[in-house]
Amino acid sequence: MPPHLCQLCHTSRAQILRPKNHARLCAPCFISTFEIEIASTITTSHLFHPGERIAIGASGGKDSTVLASVLQTLNERHGWGLDLVLLSIDEGITGYRDHSLEAVKRNSAELGLPLSIVSYEELYGWSMDQVVAQVGRGGKGNCTYCGVFRRQALDRGAAGLGVRHVVTGHNADDVAETVVMNLLRGDLPRLGRGTSVVTSMPSAVGMGTGKEWEGKGRVGEVACTSVKRSKPLMWAYEKEIVLYAHHKKLDYFSTECIYSPEAFRGSARTLIKNLERIRPESIMDVVRSGIDMAKLVPNAEGGPGSGKPEAVQRDAGEDAEGGCGGSNGEDAGGEMAQMERKLQQDEQAEEDGTETEIKIPTKAVNGQRHDRDTQTSATAAALTSNVNGQDHDRHTHPPSNTTTTVPIRTKQEKKSNRKATRDTPPPKQRLGQCERCGYLSSQAVCKACMLLEGLNKARPRTGIEVGGAGG
Amino acid sequence: MPGRRQPPAAVDTTLCRRCQANAPTITVRTEPLCSACFAKYVSTKIIKRMESFRVRHAEAGKERLLLLPLSLGPCSMVLLHILSQHLSVQAEKSGRTGYRLLALFIDDGAREGSAALFERVKERYPMHTYFNLPLSDALSLEGVPELLSPLNQATPPNNPPSTTTDPLSTLLSTLPSATSRADLLHILLRKLVVHAAQHHACEAVLWADSTTRLAERTLAETAKGRGFTLPSSIGDGEAPHGLPFYYPMRDLLRKEIISFTSLVEPGLDEMILRDVPKAAVSTKNTTIDDLMKQYFASVEREFPSIVANVVRTTGKLKVPALREEVEEHCELCDAPLRGHAPERSRLCYGCIRILRQAPAG
Repeated sequence: MPPHLCQLCHTSRAQILRPKNHARLCAPCFISTFEIEIASTITTSHLFHPGERIAIGASGGKDSTVLASVLQTLNERHGWGLDLVLLSIDEGITGYRDHSLEAVKRNSAELGLPLSIVSYEELYGWSMDQVVAQVGRGGKGNCTYCGVFRRQALDRGAAGLGVRHVVTGHNADDVAETVVMNLLRGDLPRLGRGTSVVTSMPSAVGMGTGKEWEGKGRVGEVACTSVKRSKPLMWAYEKEIVLYAHHKKLDYFSTECIYSPEAFRGSARTLIKNLERIRPESIMDVVRSGIDMAKLVPNAEGGPGSGKPEAVQRDAGEDAEGGCGGSNGEDAGGEMAQMERKLQQDEQAEEDGTETEIKIPTKAVNGQRHDRDTQTSATAAALTSNVNGQDHDRHTHPPSNTTTTVPIRTKQEKKSNRKATRDTPPPKQRLGQCERCGYLSSQAVCKACMLLEGLNKARPRTGIEVGGAGG
Repeated sequence: MPGRRQPPAAVDTTLCRRCQANAPTITVRTEPLCSACFAKYVSTKIIKRMESFRVRHAEAGKERLLLLPLSLGPCSMVLLHILSQHLSVQAEKSGRTGYRLLALFIDDGAREGSAALFERVKERYPMHTYFNLPLSDALSLEGVPELLSPLNQATPPNNPPSTTTDPLSTLLSTLPSATSRADLLHILLRKLVVHAAQHHACEAVLWADSTTRLAERTLAETAKGRGFTLPSSIGDGEAPHGLPFYYPMRDLLRKEIISFTSLVEPGLDEMILRDVPKAAVSTKNTTIDDLMKQYFASVEREFPSIVANVVRTTGKLKVPALREEVEEHCELCDAPLRGHAPERSRLCYGCIRILRQAPAG
């Protein structure tokens, strides 16, 4: 067979067969096509405004590395005037994050973009290695801890940088996986949100409450306002991202997290890869279906309020993260088995005609702080005084793809109130903020603080002091 | 409600969980059941879904006519069996029935022995009306020849001219992939069923899809870019095809239905047309539907409730309001086109994919 010529320039030999549309391209044409497509995602959904300060969530992996490189290129080429910074989260996973952070540092130097690293250890007093040592790998899903912590860490990191827009490297494969996973999990609210190119959370009124807790807030010494997230690569195939990184000779780190991945995501991932083998276009088709189905989710704007623990998880505008895949997972095989058991109980209850009691997974919400004599009062004071002059207006986002969540919050508020009063003495709930750390929350205490409470209870007292002093 | 609570008496786990009299023969979603209780379980699940066709909902002498398409596979045969029983019970109790069945077998010409089998089915359940149609009849339905004529003119890629003169296989050979062929076959089959149902003045179509099959279809349609049609295409009731669809087996897993076939006396096994198990085929010949079938076969083994949950979740999606205004529908699959098709296209996105997928490789 004679070598194919590139379909665009008709001069060079084609090196790349695009899975999306079977076009055969040479490497330079592929690179420019790839960039044009990302630019078009950005411009058609009005992701950025000129001069906007943008944090690129950088993990050192291929997706965020390509995202940083493409954004830098496009920013210069089109004169968008974006102020780009890299923001990394150091979960504290030895053998994984330490190496990938090295890659981020090299990229930062290479691209000339400033880098800011927020670590769990510093923010929460716990690294993931310590969390895993504490709860065990097979325990109550260390991905849950990691996901909850990351969400807040990104927001606080962004706030610390004075940034109100974080872009992440989620690609088309990730989004397709999320669609399938949410169908398998029966998670309608996330099905409704997972495919939006932009997600945002409601703004809060700043967080200087004088009640901040422990090590939290050290980085987020600035008010947490509306931080919007977007996924400029959501139409880019993982394969093409790898090809782009390869042909641009980008420096990235390719290892999966050493801790167990979620079972649902793992299952969905395998399925998506198999689908791609049968019909490469199907990744786009799944994403397209996901977008269409999102419009059919009941109360898409108001959240379907199933009254399930959902309301808790979605506190600060949780936005269907993919990332390592750990937005809310339990441990690997256990996650599906656990769901299976729960569903079976539901079925059984329905059959027996007995009512299911709604168990609230948040029994920690009782407003009782475990006061500790730490040296955080100083930090807290710093926080209060440091609520700087950021304006807390809600960001205006493009009308189409935004998950505007104000009505949801009022609904959830009611719901959580009702639930809380049933099980616990009414917590002094302050609308929209965690009473401990000031992070946006529909509960009195945000999820991260609740998880931390559990962790800290088990940690010997001296441990706290060491952790606090070390931070 | 203390009266409804299970008595605290210890349950003998060596006996059937429900009747506590016989030895269990099968475990259904964690419950060990004896054959009798299992049979009751299967038939209750189906008959519960036939609520709206009870005797009291039909005027005397005016039974409602329902079309039951038979593939002669385990699911449609079990449905036919249970509904036959249901009708006898209705007749026994009230002297009349709430509905009548018109059973249709569509012959795609691909499965040997189907004609003889169909005759045996008629003999065993003689109370229904039966007829059969060749699938190729779908090609002459209104609108279809015009839609598919571009394909007929195309020469099959790479393939020598087909030796058969069957217009259907000639048509299929022009399609770019196994998935496209399976898709088009399915759409044609549905068109023909709907046409037959309307022609015979049936009120609705009863499909024999199990939970497992509906879950497979959910993910398969999602993968084919047809996500927006899901709530209406797998939900009970109004369908965009002109008459309502019902899925009375939607609460049963495929494995449960298959277990049931061997419990019936005399066995249903010999009435069932088995799929020829495909040998390890190359990816090229695997369809998206095959993939989903394999996938849910394994999920069904370990996590049966998750299979059911997929279907339930899809059922919670809003069905886009039908015919609120005169709107365009895909001329091939009948899906409403609103916003789901390229401008001025007469076909929806998924159907364009069937016809225009570039050859792989």
